[in-house]
Amino acid sequence: MKKQHIFIYFISILFTISVNSQEKLDTLKTKESYGIRIGLDVSKPIISYLDDKINGYEFVGDIRIFKNYYAAVELGFTNKTTIEDYLNFTTKGSYFKAGFNYNAYKNWKGMSNEIYIGLRYGLSFFNQTLNSYTPHVKGTYFIPNTLEPNTEFNDLTAQWIEIVFGMKVETFKNLYLGVSVSLNNMLNTKEPENFKNLYVPGFNRVFLNNAGVSFNYTLSYLIPIFKKQKK
Amino acid sequence: MKKNYIIIFIFLFTFLSCEKDDICVETTTPNLIIKFYDNDNQTVAKQITELTVWADSKDSIYINKSLDSIAIPLNLNENFTRYIIENNTIKDTIKFIYNRNDIFVSRSCGYKTIFENFQIESNTTNWIKSISINNSTIDNEKAAHIYIFH
Repeated sequence: MKKQHIFIYFISILFTISVNSQEKLDTLKTKESYGIRIGLDVSKPIISYLDDKINGYEFVGDIRIFKNYYAAVELGFTNKTTIEDYLNFTTKGSYFKAGFNYNAYKNWKGMSNEIYIGLRYGLSFFNQTLNSYTPHVKGTYFIPNTLEPNTEFNDLTAQWIEIVFGMKVETFKNLYLGVSVSLNNMLNTKEPENFKNLYVPGFNRVFLNNAGVSFNYTLSYLIPIFKKQKK
Repeated sequence: MKKNYIIIFIFLFTFLSCEKDDICVETTTPNLIIKFYDNDNQTVAKQITELTVWADSKDSIYINKSLDSIAIPLNLNENFTRYIIENNTIKDTIKFIYNRNDIFVSRSCGYKTIFENFQIESNTTNWIKSISINNSTIDNEKAAHIYIFH
């Protein structure tokens, strides 16, 4: 019993020595890849397949410009039919978001994951089609018919700001899985006449206080352009 | 740092879970408001002691009520509504004509209908002495739209 304890004691000493010596050796500088990372939102094709009222896709890209700063863009297209109690309308259009991410995650050597916070400017060009509506009345004395005007409101625009929280994990060499949530705030919209932009591509549902939320789940690939020594 | 992120997320989701524009709270399609006045003294409101009101071939809205004003809905599927107003078993029929205009209100309410160019096409005069239109655009319920003198 005593012998065993002594044995463990010596082994543990050896271990600390070996760990210490390793740390000294680890002053070697590791290299980090810089390049263009491109990818797509994998959730949108799945949602499009499962829900016949929505059809959309999104491409994402970012480029590391400085230590922890990335310039980022998102490009997408959405065609969505929204059904409310007294309304049914279709929104169709494309969007563009540009901004930057700041990576707040301290990676271990050789790893390149991110937990980031970012800022985006969003711009969308879209059309709305009012498929049908039922005038709202109190009571049921006269029940109004549902009207199908199919009114089209073309050439609408919207601009907004997003705060992005997200993370990216390198799963295989240069292949990243990402998830992010954005909180959006509308700056201005070109509103249709006698209707309202209740849904905007890229911004999603426009809440009463002009706020919105968007999510994305991305799969992206880093095309390494050059490697830089990490200090 | 990670803990802070979690707190921020929870904080934001609690705010986003409630959508206050899901319930229609705005005023929508207005009713027609009729006020009854004394024909001899036209500034004094005069009650009808046994009032019954119904639209042509529909159920009654008011039955044997004692009122000096009523609020009645107009038909949104036609450009006219015919109402029968019964005062102590004496009937009078009034036909209202109007143009309908649908105005967007909100996500949860959708559209409301307002009535423009509101007129009385015809009316019988069994108990009604005269009718005057106060406002030919019916877009709110703040004041009486027509006065009936009896």
